[in-house]
Amino acid sequence: MDELLAQFLIESRELVDKAVDDLLALEKTPNNRERLEDAFRAFHTLKGGAGIVEFAAMQEALHCAEDAFAAARAESRSVSALDIGNCLSCLDQVLEWLGTIEQSGAIPPDADAGDIVALFARAGAQQKASAAPRTAGDGWLAGLLAAHASAASTARSAVRYTPEADCFFRQQDPLARIAALPGLLAVDIGPRVPWPKLDDLDPFSCNLTITALFATSPAEVAAALGDESRHAVIEAVSDRTRAIDAESLARKAAQILEAQLQLLAPAGEPHPQGRVASAGLVAANVLRHLGRSAESEAVATAAAVSIAEGRLEPLVEAIAAAMKGPTSAAAGASAARRKDVGQTMRVGADRIDALVRLTGELIVAKNSLGHSVKVAEQQVSDLAVPLKSQHAALDRLVTELQRAVVAMRVLPLRTAFQRFPRLIREISAELDKPAALVIDGEDTEADKAIVETIVEPLVHLLRNALDHGVEDGATRAQAGKPAVATIRLSAARDGEHVVIEVTDDGAGIDVTKIRQAALDRNLKAPEALAAMSDEEALDLVFLPGFSTAKTVTHLSGRGVGMDVVRTAVARLGGQVELRTAAGRGTTVRVTLPFSVLVTQVMTVEAGGQVFGIPLDAVVETLRVDSDRIFAVGAAHAIVLRDRTIPLLRLANVLTGRPNDHSDDSGPIVIAELDGQLGAVQVDRIGGRMDIILKPLDGLLAGVPGLAGSALLGDGGVLLVLDLAEVVQ
Amino acid sequence: MADDTPKRVLVIDDATLVRRYYRSALERAGFEVAEALNGVEALEHLLAARFDLLVVDVNMPQMDGLSFLQTLRAKSLPLSSTPALVTSTESAPQRIAAASAAGANFYVVKPLHAEALVQYASLLCGIRHG
Repeated sequence: MDELLAQFLIESRELVDKAVDDLLALEKTPNNRERLEDAFRAFHTLKGGAGIVEFAAMQEALHCAEDAFAAARAESRSVSALDIGNCLSCLDQVLEWLGTIEQSGAIPPDADAGDIVALFARAGAQQKASAAPRTAGDGWLAGLLAAHASAASTARSAVRYTPEADCFFRQQDPLARIAALPGLLAVDIGPRVPWPKLDDLDPFSCNLTITALFATSPAEVAAALGDESRHAVIEAVSDRTRAIDAESLARKAAQILEAQLQLLAPAGEPHPQGRVASAGLVAANVLRHLGRSAESEAVATAAAVSIAEGRLEPLVEAIAAAMKGPTSAAAGASAARRKDVGQTMRVGADRIDALVRLTGELIVAKNSLGHSVKVAEQQVSDLAVPLKSQHAALDRLVTELQRAVVAMRVLPLRTAFQRFPRLIREISAELDKPAALVIDGEDTEADKAIVETIVEPLVHLLRNALDHGVEDGATRAQAGKPAVATIRLSAARDGEHVVIEVTDDGAGIDVTKIRQAALDRNLKAPEALAAMSDEEALDLVFLPGFSTAKTVTHLSGRGVGMDVVRTAVARLGGQVELRTAAGRGTTVRVTLPFSVLVTQVMTVEAGGQVFGIPLDAVVETLRVDSDRIFAVGAAHAIVLRDRTIPLLRLANVLTGRPNDHSDDSGPIVIAELDGQLGAVQVDRIGGRMDIILKPLDGLLAGVPGLAGSALLGDGGVLLVLDLAEVVQ
Repeated sequence: MADDTPKRVLVIDDATLVRRYYRSALERAGFEVAEALNGVEALEHLLAARFDLLVVDVNMPQMDGLSFLQTLRAKSLPLSSTPALVTSTESAPQRIAAASAAGANFYVVKPLHAEALVQYASLLCGIRHG
């Protein structure tokens, strides 16, 4: 794939995540202008990217989403739920395309944005039908607030009153009616339709639209207006609408500053001092009014310099700098965000993985250098001393490198968590169980391998929590619980561990039902079950057989796929625990190691079984002719570069059979073991793999020759040998 | 300059209704207001007392707003640096450019709502927030 397309993939994925985040936040707080702007920007940037790589379908799809936002922005209304759903579908489509690009390395030629376009077209028509009168009138509120800035700051409601044309005949005085309402702050009067020519004017027909701001709440205004509220639109004036007002102040300020630069623009003849001084004074005043005193003073000083020296530049530069600077706190925040971005560099995950792999290989190379040092020492070579010190330096550097690489692989769990709000939204809709996901500690960091692998088990846990943990609406109401269930996903660092908890406020797990289910499926003998404590019984949900049958879903607890969760977590070297309180909910606690020490192993086959040998012990592999293997007493040895190395046949060692070398055709692994070389003959040499080595526990804990085990991707177990012990 | 001294605004407009409207709006917002009917009267006011802001109409008898501003800006400091907000019913870009050339700090197309006037005056006089 070409570099540009690769970069496009990285960036687009990030933007999609960002946009989903923003959309979900918008769904919660539809009036959040900042989020709306953020989402709009994300879509806009995505579209821009698609344009650069010439991906027309994606451009077209995103254009529709962008339009939906632009409409919401222009009409200063909130984004509708419909729009949000459509935008999410649009992003899904984008993700699908991105996946195709990743696999095929090219832009799918048959990509078609038709479905997405149709989706938005339908929504647009619907919106127009239902909201046309409203959107048309929405501008009045912003206008009213802008026109009455100081009243707007205390207003709680705004009214747009359009009295009936024949109201005069009913002895009504619309303006007096409004003026008599409690809490009136400001009033504007205008024609409902443009005034006709004087000759055509019907003075007995009321052609007025009265807009007004009140300090009283919309409900109070409606009550005071009584029957006439039929002809009035009453809007609550929220902080959102006030924000528009603050925006207008910032805009006015920016315009005035711009005008001062205009005043200072070079002309044919030098400007009179009064002109320059007034520009400086006004610019400083504007900044002071905005509360930006430091910049205000800088401008005032620059103005003094400009006047004294007869040069415009100092003042022009000072004003221009102030205009570039923050015009509001929000702009300041986004500037800070930009700075953050500047300090990080985007690198593809595969490049970091490559670095990890290379570091691993470097460790192996370093280890074999250690072996050469020993050879040099034994041969009393002049090189032994410098080699040894170089080896020590290399050893230190490689260790540091390894640590740095591990640190580079650390990611905040947010990258895993950010897809969950959407997941909960979907499951909750699917099951018709309203639920809110509360995320805590998403900044907690963990190794990339953990962050990536934990997603699936967590999906299981979250799904379980909603499906089996949270009760249906009726049951919750009966128990006096809020209709919207709370599912809490929290993460925290605990020493060398990362602890992730999924908690629901559902019914909890009924242990007696667990016992019954275990009995029904013949998982345990009745006596064994009876002897179990409640905690032990609860642990039964992790048994593989527990999850498959249908009856389990009737349990008022969880149980679906818990064995899968435990296996996945165990593969990462972690543990899963379950706590439950009847009627109050369930907590699943996942404890994971902070950093996953990836061990590179070489797989070998001996006696029909596959084993792993830690690669850092391996010096080299070779094949020797059987005539170079000779017996030394009861044992065997080979000669390699003038050295005699004891040789063992792995299959024989492991099975405890005598060391017979009747079949000497297998390849030989030369390993360094406690400073000595040893040769191990195997049946076949497999490939290399990265594993997470888990020390053995339980029955196998004391077995010599085994360094540990690792769970393989297919669920199988790989036993990793400790060659030093094997040879002994 | 102490911040609690009220800012002084000179409203220069030949239309009495406009002067009244501006005056009441500005006074309600805490400004001190004086009125002048044209540029000549305005200069007389300015030579007698210091103002923080001029609100200037363009079309006025005797001395129009832009000639007035040109004259003002050529005088000595600090008088000549008094901020000026020009209000006019004309919105053509060349009129706005002409006002800028004459030394207007800002140009607003009428009608100018009371609240907007107060906001502009607060910005141009540099009244501290809160």
